[in-house]
Amino acid sequence: MGVLALDELSIAYGADTVVRGLTLEVAEGELVSLLGPSGAGKTSVLKAVAGLLAPAGGDVRIDGCSVRGLPPEKRSAVMVFQKPLLFPFMNVAQNIGFGLRMQAVAPAEARRRIRDILELTRLTGFEGRRVHEISGGQQQRVALARALVLKPAILLLDEPLSSLDANLRQQMRELLQDIQSETRVTTLLVTHDQSEALMLSHRIGLLLDGRLRQVGTPHDLFHRPADRAVAEFFGGCNFLTGRLQGGLFACEIGSFPAPGVVANGHRLTAAIRPEDILVGGDCDHPIPGRVRRTRFEGAATRLWVDCGPVRLVVLTPRGDLLPGQPVCLRLPAEKIRIFPPG
Amino acid sequence: MKRLLFGGMVAGAVLLPFLALVLWAFSQRWFYPRLLPEQWGLRAWQYVLGTAGTQMTEAFTHSVLVATVTAVLSVAGGVPAGRVLGLYHFRGKDLLSIVLMLPIIVPPLCVAMGLHLWLLQLELAATLAGVVLVHLSACLPYAVFVMWGVFSNYNLDFEDQARSLGASTLSVIWRVMLPLTFPGIVVAALFSFLLSWSQYLSTLLIGGGKILTLPILLFALMGSGDRPVAAAVSIVFVIPALAALAMSARYLGSRRMLGVW
Amino acid sequence: MTLPANDNRAERARSLPRPAATIGLLAPALAVVGVLFGGGLALGLVQSLGYLPAAGMSALSADHFARVLADPDFFKSLAFTFYLALASTLVALAVGVAAALALNRLAGRSRAIQFIFQIPLTVPHLVIAIAVAFLLAPSGLLARGLQGLGLLPSGVAFPLLVNDPWGVGIMAAYVWKEVPFIALMVLAVLQSSGAELLEVGRTLKADRWQRFRYITLPIIFPSLGAAGLIVFAYTFGAFEIPYLLGQTYPMMLPVWAYKAYSDVDLLARPEGIAAGLVIAGVVTAAVALAQGLTQAARRRGAVL
Repeated sequence: MGVLALDELSIAYGADTVVRGLTLEVAEGELVSLLGPSGAGKTSVLKAVAGLLAPAGGDVRIDGCSVRGLPPEKRSAVMVFQKPLLFPFMNVAQNIGFGLRMQAVAPAEARRRIRDILELTRLTGFEGRRVHEISGGQQQRVALARALVLKPAILLLDEPLSSLDANLRQQMRELLQDIQSETRVTTLLVTHDQSEALMLSHRIGLLLDGRLRQVGTPHDLFHRPADRAVAEFFGGCNFLTGRLQGGLFACEIGSFPAPGVVANGHRLTAAIRPEDILVGGDCDHPIPGRVRRTRFEGAATRLWVDCGPVRLVVLTPRGDLLPGQPVCLRLPAEKIRIFPPG
Repeated sequence: MKRLLFGGMVAGAVLLPFLALVLWAFSQRWFYPRLLPEQWGLRAWQYVLGTAGTQMTEAFTHSVLVATVTAVLSVAGGVPAGRVLGLYHFRGKDLLSIVLMLPIIVPPLCVAMGLHLWLLQLELAATLAGVVLVHLSACLPYAVFVMWGVFSNYNLDFEDQARSLGASTLSVIWRVMLPLTFPGIVVAALFSFLLSWSQYLSTLLIGGGKILTLPILLFALMGSGDRPVAAAVSIVFVIPALAALAMSARYLGSRRMLGVW
Repeated sequence: MTLPANDNRAERARSLPRPAATIGLLAPALAVVGVLFGGGLALGLVQSLGYLPAAGMSALSADHFARVLADPDFFKSLAFTFYLALASTLVALAVGVAAALALNRLAGRSRAIQFIFQIPLTVPHLVIAIAVAFLLAPSGLLARGLQGLGLLPSGVAFPLLVNDPWGVGIMAAYVWKEVPFIALMVLAVLQSSGAELLEVGRTLKADRWQRFRYITLPIIFPSLGAAGLIVFAYTFGAFEIPYLLGQTYPMMLPVWAYKAYSDVDLLARPEGIAAGLVIAGVVTAAVALAQGLTQAARRRGAVL
C-alpha cells in the first residue's frame, strides 16, 4: 500500500513544456484518474512516476520519500502500458511471473501468487496459452495481472481500455473496478475517456493545456465544474453570460438568485446542464421559448429551444414536444453554476 | 561523449579500407616501411584514364549497361511477383520463400557453370545479353524480396478507393500503386544494380574472357601487382555504388536495407 | 506485440485474384528462377554426371562425383571452407550484436552514423578484398603502422595475415562486410518491438543484465539465427575474397571449383561443376534451415 504525491511536476519535450506545476496526491487505496485530451502529456506524467522518463521539474514522492533519480527497477511503482506488450516468447504464466522471477521470488511462492492473480483477473486456465492465441482483452488482463502480482505500492495505468473495442470496454471497466476495490492498490490511471474516468475513479484530476484545472470527485467535476473550460470538457453545457447586480445574476434570459457569489459588476459566465433544465410546470421565473428542433435519444429527448437571443439545449423525459411549439422552461437556481471571474 | 567515441570507432572501422585505397591510388613512390607515400602523384590515374583509357571506358560502359538492364528487368519482374506474395496468403508460400531465396545465396558460380553450356548453344555466351541473363538469375529474386516486404505493408484499400472513384486498372497502377511503392522500387532497383555491378565470376564464366566489365579489369590489374593502379580502379569501381547509396539514402531506413527480411 | 499480425492475416485472407492474373504476375519471377537458376543447376548436374559434348562424352555416370568425393584435396578444401565460414559467421554475429546494442543506445537517431554503417553493404567483395590486402599484407598499412610505432622490430616479424593458413585476411574482409548486415537486422528488431518491451521489463523490476538476457536475447534470437545461417551460406560460397586473399593450399571450395572448371584439361570440368553442386547443396541446406527457423518463430508468435 502506498501514497503517491506529485509535487509541482513538469514535463517537457525538448524546449516545449507540456505539463507544468502538476500537484496531485493519491491516497492509500485510492483510484485517481488523470483525465485530459489525447496528446496532453498524460502518458509522460505516468512515465515520470514510473521512472521511465525524467521530469523537467518537480518531485515525485512515494510514501513520503522522493524517488527522483531512482530507476524504475528500484521503484515500488509498476506501470501498465496502453498496449498489452506481452513478451511474445513466453506463455501467459511466464509473462505474469516475469517480475517475480526478476525479484528472485521462491518458485513455490511465485506459483501461488500467479494462481491467485489468475483467479482475480478471471484468467484461470489460461496459464499455458501463448500470447498470440489469446484475444486483445485477455492480453490486457494478462498485462494487468503481470503488474498486480508484484503487489506494487503504486499501480500506474496508461489508458488501459483504449485498445479494446467498445463492448469489451464495459466488461473490463467493471473488472478493473472489482480488482481495485478488492486489492485496494493505490492507482493512478490516465485516460482521455470521460465516462471511464467518471465511472472508475474515486477522484479525478482534469488536465487541460498542461495544467491541472480541477481535482475532485466525479460528481464535483460533472456538476460543479470550476470554470468554463472544465464545463466545456464534459460537454453539453449551456453557457450564459451576464453580470452580478444586486445579488442577482442578470443575463440575457433573466435574473437568477446567485447566493454566495461575490463579484459585483464583473461579467460572469454561468453554466447549466441540459438535463437540469425543466420543461413546463409551475415556476417563479418561467422562461418562454420556442422549440426549434428535437432529437429522440431513447431515455430522453434533446430539445433546442430559442429563448430570445439565447438557444438552450434541454434534455427532457417528455416526448410530446414538437418543433415550433412554444414552451416554458425553468432553470432551478441551485443547478446554475456561476464561474468566478477570470 | 560516448556517442562521439562510438561514432568515431564506427567511422574509423568503415573508412579504414577506403583510406588504404586512397593512399595507394595517389602515391607515386611509397616504399616500406613508410607510413605515408614519399611522393604523391597521379601516375596511377594517368594510366587508368589515359593509357588504359579505352579499356576502362569499355569496362565501365559494359558494367553500367549490364547492371542497368539487369536492374530494370529485375524490378519489372519483381514488382508483380512481390505484389502477389506480399498481399495474399496462400499455401506453399513458405516453400516459395525458400525457393526465391536460393538464387540469391547460392553462389552464381554454381549456376553459371551449368548455364554456360546452354548459353553456348543459344549463341548467347560471350554476349552482353548472356551476362544479363546470368545476373538476372540472382538479381530478380532479390528484387522480389524487397517488393515482398514493401507490399506486406501496403494498404490495398487505397486501390479499392481509387477504383470505386472510377479509376481504370492502368490508372490505379500508375497513379496509386507506383507512387506508393516508389521508395521500395528504388531500393529494389538499387540493390539489383549493385548486385549485378559487383558480379565477377559469373561474368567471367559466361563472358569467356571476351566481355570486359569493371571487376574483371580490376582483377587483372590486381594480378599485375601494380598497387596504385589497382587502387585507382577500385575507387572508380566503388564510387557508383557509394553514389547510389547516397542518392537513395532518403528511401533507406535500417529496416529497408534488409529487403530480404 | 502480436495482435497486428493476426489482424493482417484476416485482411490477407483476401482471396487471390483470378488464377490467370496471379500466375501472370508471378510468371516472370518464377520463369527466371525456374529456367535460369533451376535450369543452371540442372544443367550443371547433367554435366557433372558426364554429359560433356565438347569432349565427346555423352554417357551419364557418377564417376566424376565419385572422383571428386574421393579426392583428399577436395575434403581439405571442404573442411577449410566450413571452418572459415563458421568462424567468420560467429565473429560477425558477436560483433554485430554488440554493434546493434551500442547503436541502439548511443546512436539510435543519428542518421549520419547509420548511413556510414550501411556503406559496407554496398561495397563489392572485390574492393574490400583489395583493401584488406593493402591493410594486412606484410607490406601493408598495419605493418607499417606498427613498425612506425615501434611495436614491430622488423618487417619480417609481422605475422602472415593474408594468404595464410588461418584465413585471417579472409575473415577480416567477411566480418567487415557482414557486421552491418547483422547489426542493422538486430537493430530493426530492437527499435520496433524491442524498445517498448524493454520499458516493460524495467517497470517489472528487471535490471540491465536481466533485460538483456530475458528480453533482448529472446527477441533477437530468431533474426540472429536466420541471419547467421544466411551469412554462413554466403561466405561458404563466395569466390572473390578467398581468390585474392586465400592461400594456394588448401584453397576454399569455390576457388577449387573454379580452378577445376577452367582447367585446360576438359575432363576436370565436370569435377568443378560437381564441387559447385556440393556448394549449392550446403548453401541450400543452410537457407532452408534459416527460413525454417524464421517461420517457426513467426508461428510461435515472435515478431520479426
